[in-house]
Amino acid sequence: MRQRSLIAITAALAAGALTLTACGSRDSGDKGSDSGGTTVVIGVDAPLTGDLSALGLGIKNSVDLAAKTANKKKYVDGVKFEIKALDDQAQPSSGQQNASTLVADKDVLGVVGPLNSSVAESMQKVFDDAKLVQISPANTGPALTQGANWQTKKERQYKSYFRTATTDAIQGPFAAQYVVNDAKKKKVFVIDDKKTYGAGLASTFTAEFKKIGGQVVGTDHIDPDTKDFSAVATKVKNSGADVVYYGGEYPQAGPLSKQIKASGAKIPVVGGDGIYDPTFIKLAGPNSAGDLATSVGAPVETLASAKQFVADYKAGGYKEEYAAYGGYSYDAAWAIIEGVKKVVDDNGGKLPDDARAKVTAAVQNVSFDGVTGKVSFDEFGDATNKQLTVYAVENGAWKAVKSGTFTG
Amino acid sequence: MNELPQQLVNGLLLGSMYGLVAIGYTMVYGIVQLINFAHGEIFMIGGFGALTVYLYVLPDGTSMWVALPLMLVGAVVAAVLVAVGAERFAYRPLRTAPRLAPLITAIGLSLALQQAVWAWYPGAKESINFPEIAGGPFEIGSVTIQTGDVFLIVAAPISMAILAYFVMKTRTGRGMQATAQDPDTAKLMGINTDRIIVVAFALGAAFAAVGAVAYGLKYGQVQFRMGFILGLKAFTAAVLGGIGNIYGAMIGGLVLGLAETMATAYIADIPGFDQLGGQSWANVWAFVLLILVLLFRPQGLLGERVADRA
Amino acid sequence: MNAIGPVEPGEGTTAPRPEPRPAAGGSTGHPTAPRRALVAVLAAVLLLAAGGYLYATRPHVPPPAPPVPSQLPFPAQVVDVTFVGPHAAPPGASPQTFAFEVLLSVDAGPEVTVTRVSQPYAGLSLTTAPRTPFRTAAGTARTIVITMHVTECGTVPENAGLPFLDVTLRNTRAIQEQSFILGPRYARALSQALQVACSNESG
Repeated sequence: MRQRSLIAITAALAAGALTLTACGSRDSGDKGSDSGGTTVVIGVDAPLTGDLSALGLGIKNSVDLAAKTANKKKYVDGVKFEIKALDDQAQPSSGQQNASTLVADKDVLGVVGPLNSSVAESMQKVFDDAKLVQISPANTGPALTQGANWQTKKERQYKSYFRTATTDAIQGPFAAQYVVNDAKKKKVFVIDDKKTYGAGLASTFTAEFKKIGGQVVGTDHIDPDTKDFSAVATKVKNSGADVVYYGGEYPQAGPLSKQIKASGAKIPVVGGDGIYDPTFIKLAGPNSAGDLATSVGAPVETLASAKQFVADYKAGGYKEEYAAYGGYSYDAAWAIIEGVKKVVDDNGGKLPDDARAKVTAAVQNVSFDGVTGKVSFDEFGDATNKQLTVYAVENGAWKAVKSGTFTG
Repeated sequence: MNELPQQLVNGLLLGSMYGLVAIGYTMVYGIVQLINFAHGEIFMIGGFGALTVYLYVLPDGTSMWVALPLMLVGAVVAAVLVAVGAERFAYRPLRTAPRLAPLITAIGLSLALQQAVWAWYPGAKESINFPEIAGGPFEIGSVTIQTGDVFLIVAAPISMAILAYFVMKTRTGRGMQATAQDPDTAKLMGINTDRIIVVAFALGAAFAAVGAVAYGLKYGQVQFRMGFILGLKAFTAAVLGGIGNIYGAMIGGLVLGLAETMATAYIADIPGFDQLGGQSWANVWAFVLLILVLLFRPQGLLGERVADRA
Repeated sequence: MNAIGPVEPGEGTTAPRPEPRPAAGGSTGHPTAPRRALVAVLAAVLLLAAGGYLYATRPHVPPPAPPVPSQLPFPAQVVDVTFVGPHAAPPGASPQTFAFEVLLSVDAGPEVTVTRVSQPYAGLSLTTAPRTPFRTAAGTARTIVITMHVTECGTVPENAGLPFLDVTLRNTRAIQEQSFILGPRYARALSQALQVACSNESG
């Protein structure tokens, strides 16, 4: 009797575990490569489950779309692209494991991801040691490319790390300028989630906000694991702030905005690209009208290439939205595809033995018209195209209100 | 403006929710000495039960005054079914096994329930919006009370009163007390201990379900992971109040909720503590309080008066 | 259905000759003649379905894409504005006036008209030379001299980290206001000029 129950429990647990592993493996695509061509795998690392999965799945699907487009166009002769998507659950430790997994797979010649700057920190060295190129569509922490002392002395950190997103060094100040000059708000309450991305963004915002005449009337750091921000909301209300800046992501920003408004402080919440997602509006409720977010890139509707991407994505039949980083993920994947093409073309139509190092070198010099505009990388691995847009919540959707181009 | 009254209310509300969930930990522990780590997930299932009733059973646009009682029923039914099922199929076979076996089972069950909801409940891969009660917040002096919180304010004391009556006055309740004191003797006295244990699980689940509906109304969303942190907090509240004691659970919850809120609101204002304040440090201060309480009263605030049996 | 029946002949397979079975097993299979009819009907249906599918998914001739304005780029996507350096203030100007040069270039698409150049801070006004509106054709660039005048020192940010110019651009596709963040060199030049302008209390 005991024996049987034990077996039953073990079976139940095993079934649970299998469900988990099934989620991890079902994205790796079909392995059967036809016609004997070379298969090149583009790795993807993003949070595919959990609170940030809306962004992560958008990244995965967009990379998948890029790979399929390249295959359909036969963009690189004799090479078939596949993707291998791993879930990092927004955890640095999972990210590092995934990095090792991807390095171990010899077919992987490039990786798109991750979403979170803190995860990127744990992956960079693993990829750099393997000379495997990594392009993040979403990391905005300046230190990832320019070193911890980026404000005084810029220094390239890892030769294999690139990104298509714009850094917080521009995003935070741009938001500050908009809040002070256009929205005419001078008293801010700054909140962050203490993570690499959120704290970094909040500090670049705060610095510029003070410089141009704003006043910080309060700060707080929240614990991203909880949903009860009522104590913080009460502090915000009593601080007399006329705007709240939140450095962090939408799973917390949505409830935070809602609870701040519920406390009686009818003031806008401003955030970065981490809150620029429809889910934010869903979580924050109808009172979120007027909340602001800066996001990297020009509004999709002003770019012909972006419209093509949106149409292709729809035609691709993906279940999830491409979300905030879809275009950047497509461009990141396409930069890898361009890199592979260059390496293959230079080597007489075949992949060389040291393909990874060669692809990394090739990506440094790519230049093409992507979904988000011209895609190329500067000496630090940052995108040279630095556009960003302020969006406001209007009638339950994000609407572009101001765009900027960084030409420094 | 003086924010103390508002922060006290914030803390009491948060604490009531911890208390409702903590009852389940404390009752099960009091009777079978099992820390049911899957209880947080029972709470989560309650939330999804209520949501299911709203989304899939009731017609669109049902008034919340009609929907809420039915959602409550849905929450309780879902939570109780899962809890009783867990007791029957996961814990009962292990009742005579070493203590660690059911504990590990509970952790496994917790993960399995979370992942099951994640995998199979439509749309549960991210947060799902919970219906809200219309109507503006109520202002009492300088204190604002949200419409969603009214449910918690009403439900928590009523639940406690019902529980106290049940345990003290009814036959089954007295049976529970007897089983908690000495299960073997209770059995000899003709108490069906198996049934009592099932009742303990079911009651705990029902209170967790009430807490889950309050959670949904308060925060406007439910998600598959909502039970994890809240479960840990509720467990902490149960220990703080004295595990095994149902009043202790409620008191522990309130103390914990107040401690977290006060830490968020005021620690940073103490000179020299500006780096140690704010919401991200609230847990640290709550656990400092727990350690202090346990140092001086190892049995918790309302320590259990039980004969110790190892 | 029982699993002991014979294999049904399907498309492209030759069915093994069904063995004569004892009458007792009759309930597990169809009598032969109706089965043949069934197979025939099935085959016909399949054929029709395949034909219909092919017909429905036959390659459409894509309608020729007309060169509509929607193919043209938005002005902000083709215009670049970069900081060149300080420029001598116009002779005779007050000490609270200073000037610098920016380079505006148009990469592609139709001619772009700059209808307005402004900056966001209160306490500062600006004029451009050439005066707005002016046009720039694709593939060309032109130097613009921006002259700024401090009207009120108290409200001017003397140390902005990423100041920008708001430029309103128009081409046949759209009108857009774009902020051009001219980078740290511009930031330094601007704050220096502002400090000089505002340290002089004579104005």
